[in-house]
Amino acid sequence: MSQIIKHAIKVVSVFFILAFLIAPNKSFAADGEALFKSHCASCHKPDAKYVGPELKGAREREPEKGWVYKWVRNPITMVQTDPYAKKLHEEYGSIMTPFPDLTDEEIDAILDWADSYQAPGAAAPGAGGAAVEAPKSDNTLLYGLLTLVLLIVALILLQVNGSLRKMADESEGIPGKKPVPFYRNKAYLLLFAIVLFIFAGYYLVEGAVGLGRQQGYQPEQPIFYSHKVHAGVNQISCLYCHGGAQDGKHANIPSVNVCMNCHLSVTEYTGEPLYHDDGTQVDANAEIQKLYKYAGFDPTTKTYDEKSAKPIEWVKIHNLPDHVYFNHAQHVKVGQVACQTCHGEIQKMDEVSQFAPLSMGWCVNCHRTTNVQFNDDKGNGNQFYSIYEKFHEDIKNKKYDSVTVEKIGGTECAKCHY
Amino acid sequence: MKKNKILLFVLIAAGGFTALQSCGDKRSPGRTYMPDMQYSRAYEAYTPNSLDKEGINYIPQPVEGTIRRGDLLPYKVPNTPEGYVQSAQVKNPLPLPLTSAQMSEAQRLYNINCAICHGAKMDAQGPLATGAKVPAVANLTTKVYVDMPEGTMFHSITYGKGNMGSYASQLTREERWMVVEYVKRTQLGGAAAPAPAAEAAPATENK
Repeated sequence: MSQIIKHAIKVVSVFFILAFLIAPNKSFAADGEALFKSHCASCHKPDAKYVGPELKGAREREPEKGWVYKWVRNPITMVQTDPYAKKLHEEYGSIMTPFPDLTDEEIDAILDWADSYQAPGAAAPGAGGAAVEAPKSDNTLLYGLLTLVLLIVALILLQVNGSLRKMADESEGIPGKKPVPFYRNKAYLLLFAIVLFIFAGYYLVEGAVGLGRQQGYQPEQPIFYSHKVHAGVNQISCLYCHGGAQDGKHANIPSVNVCMNCHLSVTEYTGEPLYHDDGTQVDANAEIQKLYKYAGFDPTTKTYDEKSAKPIEWVKIHNLPDHVYFNHAQHVKVGQVACQTCHGEIQKMDEVSQFAPLSMGWCVNCHRTTNVQFNDDKGNGNQFYSIYEKFHEDIKNKKYDSVTVEKIGGTECAKCHY
Repeated sequence: MKKNKILLFVLIAAGGFTALQSCGDKRSPGRTYMPDMQYSRAYEAYTPNSLDKEGINYIPQPVEGTIRRGDLLPYKVPNTPEGYVQSAQVKNPLPLPLTSAQMSEAQRLYNINCAICHGAKMDAQGPLATGAKVPAVANLTTKVYVDMPEGTMFHSITYGKGNMGSYASQLTREERWMVVEYVKRTQLGGAAAPAPAAEAAPATENK
């Protein structure tokens, strides 16, 4: 019995010793990052200059050991007395917010974390690049060649068959017909005519229908603006920039001041590399500089020069013919249609292209199948639809459970053409 | 040979349509049947115009001093340090408290325009702030902002403050006051905003 207790004590003590050995290290490593994010990330980056200097190697740069602790807790008096602090202040122009609550250990944890920081994605491109560049297998050519070879074989066999029959006929003394050259052979001519009819007809119809439509249109824009980075990665709402979509006919193209709301402080791009259509990498920071040029903004002094500012001439992608009326608010606000329904997965597009055909058939199809947000007794839905009393009666009498856009006149000609 | 002529016509038409469509070139919008029905003769939004060169007096901005129907009266406090102090005295002109419909609209506007930095819970944990991209985002749940008068908040939204730009072009005066009221009612954790910014952002902002 006593042995068992001894054994248990041993196990427990070993466990505690291990826990003491492991736990502090682990929690410091975690704390460093958490502390950095809560205290420093507003103005510092671990590995690059930002509002303030990078934190990597801060303890190697400090004039004397322990200087950094004093600085973090009381930078305002340090700037007036300490020469190195004065120099920093001159270089960066602003004084750091004091953090008197941070202990030496916590500051060390932050700096330890910054020293061991590795930019995410630094190692990734080598591995990722290979996967991207793997050639896409396209079998169209292979199938085409195969068809051609089979056709030639079939022709040769036909010829052989013909020659053999002729020889057989000759040996049996049956007088053969006069040979017809293949270009006057009626069977060949018919086959050729049918194939030509099918191909020409296909291109004729496709071409005639496609004229005036521009699905897939992806114009080059004055700035490489990635919707993927803004709406996807950074989760900016579509309506942040295109607020007009809920208020009126047009989904506004944002003016430069809306860009500058964030780009006043977001001066460089740190995300995944972006690529042009031809595979070359986008210099995203140069694109941000282009924005500053349009805004007349000087990123070093953070001032605007109104005289050199000019609007960005974005190229409109979705063009409806003049004889069609389309209103964004009616769809976005009243119909509660998500942007992606018509514009595709914009949050995944670097360069936006037209997703929908924007043909009349496409519009009408949606009007036929989409239910309007009919109001109910609980006050949900659009109260405007209260005026459709008969439909409400019918829904109550279980005649139907929903009302499509078509039923309230959504496919009338004059709804969109007038 | 009538047959040959028909065949030739079909071939030329097919080729012609294909060429007109300029298929495969995604950088070009392609061509159209009747340009006078396709392209507007009137100036559409964002189309370039040469009115000033033609000597036509056209003012693209509303005449100074005009107020949009139904909108609140203009905010007169100037964008100066004195104006900032003065703004503390400005009272919310909307009838208070807001109706629940107004509050949910204010929450929607907050989630679209503000939560991107200030966070749906107003704790400065919005997607742009946590990505360490926009520095020094105000944590609206801290004492400074809980104690901040409504007028000062409205002043900052209207003219911008520090790293924050002016939201006067994105929110009307009434919407700004609604958002201020929503922030004031919510920042103490009263009716916490349920929708996290991540979900409020790209997919469901139309809800």
